[in-house]
Amino acid sequence: MKLLKIGISGIRGIVGDTLTPGLIMDFSSAFGTYLNSQKVLLGRDTRLSGPMLQSATVSALLSTGCDVIDLGVCPAPILQYLVKRLKAKGAISISAGHNDANWNALTFINREGTYLNSYQGEEMLDIYHLGRFKKVSTASLGALVSRTDYLDTYFQDLVKFLDTETIKKTAFKVVIDACNGGGAGIVDIFCRHLGCELIPVNNEPSGYFPHEPEPRPRYASEVASIIKITTANAGFLLNSDVSRISIVSEDGETLSEEYTLPLIASYYLRKKPGAVITNLSTSRMIEDVATYQDCRVIKAKVGQSPCIQEMIEEDGVMAGEGSGSVAIRQFHPAYDGFLAMGIILEMMAVEKLKISAIVHQLPKYHIKKEKIYCPPVKAHSIINEIRKLYPSQKVNLSDGIKVDWKDGWIHIRVSATEPMIRIISESRSEDKAQERVDKATSFVTQLV
Amino acid sequence: MRQRLSLKISVSGVRGVVGDSLTPQLITRFAQAFGSYLGRGKVLVGQDARASGVMIKNAVYSGLLSVGCQPVDAGICPIPSFLVLAKESNAAGGIAVTASHNPENWNGLKFISSEGLYLNFSQTQEFLDIYHQGEFTLINADKQKRILAVNKPTRAHLKKLLDVLDVRSIRKKKFKVVTDCCNGAGAVLCPEFLDALACETTWLNAIPDGIFAHHPEPIPENIFRLCRTVEGNQADVGFVQDADADRLAIVDESGKPLGEELTLALAVQYVLSRNPGPVVINLSTSQAIEDIARVYGVPLIRTKIGEINVVEEVIHQKASIGGEGNGGVILPAVHPCRDSFTAMGLTLESMARAGKTISQLRKKIPYYCMVKDQIPGSPEEAYKILRKLKKKYAKTEDITTLDGLKINFSDFWVHIRPSNTESIIRILAEAKSQKEANRAVDRLKKEIAG
Repeated sequence: MKLLKIGISGIRGIVGDTLTPGLIMDFSSAFGTYLNSQKVLLGRDTRLSGPMLQSATVSALLSTGCDVIDLGVCPAPILQYLVKRLKAKGAISISAGHNDANWNALTFINREGTYLNSYQGEEMLDIYHLGRFKKVSTASLGALVSRTDYLDTYFQDLVKFLDTETIKKTAFKVVIDACNGGGAGIVDIFCRHLGCELIPVNNEPSGYFPHEPEPRPRYASEVASIIKITTANAGFLLNSDVSRISIVSEDGETLSEEYTLPLIASYYLRKKPGAVITNLSTSRMIEDVATYQDCRVIKAKVGQSPCIQEMIEEDGVMAGEGSGSVAIRQFHPAYDGFLAMGIILEMMAVEKLKISAIVHQLPKYHIKKEKIYCPPVKAHSIINEIRKLYPSQKVNLSDGIKVDWKDGWIHIRVSATEPMIRIISESRSEDKAQERVDKATSFVTQLV
Repeated sequence: MRQRLSLKISVSGVRGVVGDSLTPQLITRFAQAFGSYLGRGKVLVGQDARASGVMIKNAVYSGLLSVGCQPVDAGICPIPSFLVLAKESNAAGGIAVTASHNPENWNGLKFISSEGLYLNFSQTQEFLDIYHQGEFTLINADKQKRILAVNKPTRAHLKKLLDVLDVRSIRKKKFKVVTDCCNGAGAVLCPEFLDALACETTWLNAIPDGIFAHHPEPIPENIFRLCRTVEGNQADVGFVQDADADRLAIVDESGKPLGEELTLALAVQYVLSRNPGPVVINLSTSQAIEDIARVYGVPLIRTKIGEINVVEEVIHQKASIGGEGNGGVILPAVHPCRDSFTAMGLTLESMARAGKTISQLRKKIPYYCMVKDQIPGSPEEAYKILRKLKKKYAKTEDITTLDGLKINFSDFWVHIRPSNTESIIRILAEAKSQKEANRAVDRLKKEIAG
């Protein structure tokens, strides 16, 4: 089985296998052709394969006549923010986010600083499949400029967006595990700007991941073990492009990444009421929080591109998913881990509450997740078969299968980033959630 | 006639036109093939000053990294400096991003061994086999290397030059020199080099930005400004390098271009007077070199066209000197490669030690006139033409078929062969006068057409 995922906003594959320089060049050439010789930003995380992908991308973009501003190691949300700030016409982010170190990916970003939407993605894929890329002569080749000073531009703007004065007064102490990924070293700048003391964990931009770069409780033990000793106020885990975070409370409780969105929404919707966009697989906590503030929740397909697109179209104030990602429309329509950490700190400072206290205000649900390996060719027919499991229920088929009950729900879908079928179930009752996952799992396993 | 092809893959490497045949995808496959050919290890990557160098270099990096090699960036680097560096460093090999004297819109790759030599014929065959098989062993993410950079890539070369040349004699003369670097890679080293030789220098086109102020082939019709400046400044000599600084042409103290054939002739004349030994040149190089070698009683060996062919024979024969008539001087004491800096140094040294001007030195060289012409034509068309001519002349004249066809008539010769680097057929003739040489070329062209 070759592992390669081609989606509307990018490609994802395994280095040394599917993700070859030639393939990366073909996609980058298609993107350059799509942009038609404009200014493009480029940023990557710290993965060891980063330079290989980056040089392929640079070469291809230049050959299509695009000027390239190379930001070096630059987390995706900063890259996305800078597209608009620097009036670039697009960007390519080189990072496989939460995937393990063998993976890498290109994500294509439009002139608005958001992932390509489905129409833009389709147009680019058409160019890719046609294989007729723009080729310019020597005199029209793009120019390459390397810049690292733009990180400050981003953080200066972030400081202005947040209630930095109040955050600074509280002088927080935070533990951050950057997983030696794209956020490593950059979290220092973040903390300096917000007057926080940083206790860094895995803060070397080496690309050697000490654990999978997925912010989840199972990888949070390092942060949890030192948070009490150091009397820190909060702990955070980042994925490798800093689009997702998970939280550890001051008393060392490792919160599920599902908490990130409702926790931020419980504060931000009060400040700025409006619609929240999330996906079908996200905890009902967000619905309870939004309802409490008289705000709507709109469901979109899983993934940054559809959720952000929906936020823009429906004029929502924020978007986020159960994977620990949050976007605030007013700052920038992109999932942003720095912004998420910033708002949590602001909330703590303004409301003078500890994380544990805020968490206690949220309703309790139990979420169970499972993923089953499944070749992409089989995946969609399997999803269709699964309907038979729920003959009497109303099912939502907008992204896989979602079934709702009064106490909870189950969502079974094909992963957009890996050859997997994901099963996720939530309920007030832990047993019910587990029972539903088990039933679906055994059914899918048989079919695979 | 068929369309002229814009891609050429040969013993001289890969050359093509940017925006046409020379795509990132093609380049990266060649880099992958070369990385696979070398195995693992460090691979130096240098470039001439062409504007497309950055695009090509990044494609090279990606290809090398994907097969487990570690690229080491030598920046914009004169090709002889790059070759010396490849030998002196611990790199497994090198890739030079250059199209030598081809026009601005061309670029290409030259592949270099750890000895600092271009791949020879059989090495190239082996490497091209890997390229054509197209299956490269990709390495996993955890073994990917970083890109390194060399601090001062010209250092080793400069040291060699100053060790070999009679620096003291040259410095004493404080020569007035006008140098035209053709906005090429030579500009990176030239000021430091001529400074070390205590020359008083005037510079033309000395910014290595690859925007060539004139065609980068150092032939008389391209260097009008240099000639005028030499004359106006009353300089002792004028030099013009080609874009990657392996070839040199000379202008005498009156502002008269000598023609690039004279560069090697002057160097051979001088080197043999101090260190008589075998001389190696290619089939197209002037008869004058043969005459000089005869005076010194040393063997003269002619090879196929292509720098590596001359270089290999230079090494094999333990030659004192070798080279090509296009202004490429090979002094193995510095490094077995064409080197415009060696050529400059030898010229200045011979002026200094003999106490003579360029025009005086030039007078001692037997006089010949060479005409270099070309017609468009693919290798297949060239083959047909060659067969026809061979049939006609094989019985009556002294011919050589080592490379194309060379016909030695009693008082002139003609040489016709397909180019290694472009889809053209080169026609050369040398005779005792311009008129006779022109007549020989015209006659041959008529025979081809007819």
